[in-house]
Amino acid sequence: MIVAERKPFDEIRSMVSNYKKVLTVGCGTCVAVCLAGGSKEVETLNAELNLAFKKDGIEFGAETLQRQCDMEFLAELDNKVDQYDCLLSMACGAGIQFLAERFPNKPVFPAVNTSFIGVNLDVGWYEEKCRACGQCVLAMTGGVCPVTMCAKSLFNGPCGGTNKTSCEIHTDQPCAWFKIYERLSGQGRLDQIMKISPPNDWSNQKPRKVIQPGYEERVKAMNS
Amino acid sequence: MTTDKCTNVIEKCIDLKGSENCDDANMVDISISKDVLVIGAGSFGLEAAGKIAAQGYSVSVIGVKTACARQSGCSSEMLETGKVNIMQDVAIDSLAGVTGDFRAVLIKTAGNGTGCNETGCSEKVEKVFGAIVVAPQYSYSPLNKKYGLTLNDKVVSQSQFEAMLGDSESQKKILNSNNGNGSTVAFLTGFAQEGDPTLTSRVLTSALAVQNMENCNAYIYAGNVKVGAKGLERLFTQGRHAGVVCFKPSQMPTIEQTSTVEQDGNCDHKQVSETIKITIKDPVVRTDVELTPDYIVVEEALVVGQQNLDIASTLRIDADLYGFLPSNNVHRFPAKSNRDGIFVVNNSADAANTALKLKELIGNGIKKVAANKAKVDEDRCVICLTCYRSCPHGAIFWQNGAAAISQVACQGCGICASECPMDAIQIGDFTDDSLRTSIKDAVVSAKDNQKDGQPLIVAFCCKNSAFEACEAATQFGHEMPQGFRMVKVPCAGKVDVEFIMKAFVEGADGVMVAACHEGNCKAERGNIYAKWRVNEIQKRLEKMGLEKNRLIFTTIASNMAKEFAGKVNAFAAAIQ
Repeated sequence: MIVAERKPFDEIRSMVSNYKKVLTVGCGTCVAVCLAGGSKEVETLNAELNLAFKKDGIEFGAETLQRQCDMEFLAELDNKVDQYDCLLSMACGAGIQFLAERFPNKPVFPAVNTSFIGVNLDVGWYEEKCRACGQCVLAMTGGVCPVTMCAKSLFNGPCGGTNKTSCEIHTDQPCAWFKIYERLSGQGRLDQIMKISPPNDWSNQKPRKVIQPGYEERVKAMNS
Repeated sequence: MTTDKCTNVIEKCIDLKGSENCDDANMVDISISKDVLVIGAGSFGLEAAGKIAAQGYSVSVIGVKTACARQSGCSSEMLETGKVNIMQDVAIDSLAGVTGDFRAVLIKTAGNGTGCNETGCSEKVEKVFGAIVVAPQYSYSPLNKKYGLTLNDKVVSQSQFEAMLGDSESQKKILNSNNGNGSTVAFLTGFAQEGDPTLTSRVLTSALAVQNMENCNAYIYAGNVKVGAKGLERLFTQGRHAGVVCFKPSQMPTIEQTSTVEQDGNCDHKQVSETIKITIKDPVVRTDVELTPDYIVVEEALVVGQQNLDIASTLRIDADLYGFLPSNNVHRFPAKSNRDGIFVVNNSADAANTALKLKELIGNGIKKVAANKAKVDEDRCVICLTCYRSCPHGAIFWQNGAAAISQVACQGCGICASECPMDAIQIGDFTDDSLRTSIKDAVVSAKDNQKDGQPLIVAFCCKNSAFEACEAATQFGHEMPQGFRMVKVPCAGKVDVEFIMKAFVEGADGVMVAACHEGNCKAERGNIYAKWRVNEIQKRLEKMGLEKNRLIFTTIASNMAKEFAGKVNAFAAAIQ
């Protein structure tokens, strides 16, 4: 899932302080699961904002959509946003941008920082697992991602900085390639580590698109 | 009287048809709102409204310009029913819900087509309707350029000429064109486009009006004329009796439009006079026939305005290739759109038919429908919206965190079920389990009968075309391989990737997906989706190291029994 963290209250406060009616928009999928932007967080944030702006008479509305990354769900706000001066989105960066695209006349502000694609370790505890690099090498790294875990995102490792199981940057940071070595050796697949992976092309990155196989013609038809 | 009798008979038929196969155990009652929304207040929209009100339903008519203002279309009869509410300058802003329970947001348009003016935006109201009728109001564009003509006061479009006939000053001009000797008016129609009965009717009406004016003569040059509408033959005969001359040359007439500038002493004062000459070749007497009319009236093309396209996208209904509403589908009743409960009225016949169909749909406000047409497993559904986006009938919505399928609007094609990434949708008689069993049975039975050396073929056959064709082929005794078996599907769009692969896994040598011809799918796009899927699986087969020609996609019509057998035999030969 996509993991986000709520922005510091002061930052949110300063973004909305010049408006009279603010709609806080939650998202019911990833950010709800990671306890950052679901309907409970919308209510909590609004309560804080109400307290802070009691004297200024700013009104805060609340809506939580199923997802802010699907236009059909955003459409549920079509008849509501007119009454507001600005929108405060608690979705991930994708959702915030799609919301802003849907209502180009309204200022849209982010109430969360989108952190990473990660996993749930326990309630409220998440760890990054994937950088969405678009060139998955997990097959030859024993299911440990070097792009995410290695400080240098090395496709071929370890580097000279590997330091008795940890990374040279800090002893708290395990060396990704040491973990890879352990995993592969446990599976008897150490030959994998000797293979050279060609480097990923990190240059000139622009927004990527995915069209699932079998849907190319549909997309073509929609664009014509 | 006769018409009433006919209507009664038709209504009885509808009642009977509606009651067939009513196994009460599997039926549910669904309440249908008895209010109807008519979008478009032109004469056909109002005609439809009147006929629907006569069935006892309340009708709201919205439109920017209502034909009532022009004193046409709003019959006192209709207004006296008290069931027609005409809302001038109101448009539809958005639409949710499904047939029987459409929730339309209506907005006051301030005359400019949008809900806003300098003083702000007007309020929106949500209203519930059981059904929606669209009466599109197209605009016209003159086709003078196709005839090489420039429009001026002598060369006018059909609409301009109709306006002239309705204006007394212009009428006088026509009457006095040749120093009081009347005018000759030539109408050009059917050379620049295919034409339609409405256009023919406008030309015939105008020509007759001209012919009835003192000393005036009307000539019609017609290419392709469409007369297939009520009263058109009569109108044509009336014109001929009055003296209207009609030419139907095989080629577009040669027209010369020349203007001469005559200068009198004063340099600033120029007199421009124009002569127009129309020449056609008479095929019988084999000579040129010339005419120099005082006016030329050129035909016009119907133009789909942005407004109509916007309405179609708001209502989520398809337009045809040229943008006209509704989209064509031979399986569908002509005035129906691809969404149940949304009708399109383009003429009087549509208006009458829509009123009848509405009675069938709304009835007394309660409709019995099969309860198991399509079922969503709410625990599996992740509301990814794939079904909502691929349903060709707009029958799917979402509520309480799961997709929901309207049993009234659902046509049972199964496209949603095959697209669902969670296998959360099951179609009445074609559940995934029953189809898997059918595939297995087909292979087992084919194996038992298969002759040595002949391939084992499983064909997924759309019940609307290939299934019928195959049944007929068997009955007519067209020979097909012994190892050929078919699996009946509600639409080719229901054929999952998984089903095709399963047929191979069970032991089929070849798999055929047989759909309706392009443009002929009852579910609008099921055949196209099936084709895309087959293309994709062929690629996958190749990557798996199998021959991609073991899977084919083909289209067929239900009456093509011999061709179906031919296709199966050719496929068998190709993969043997």
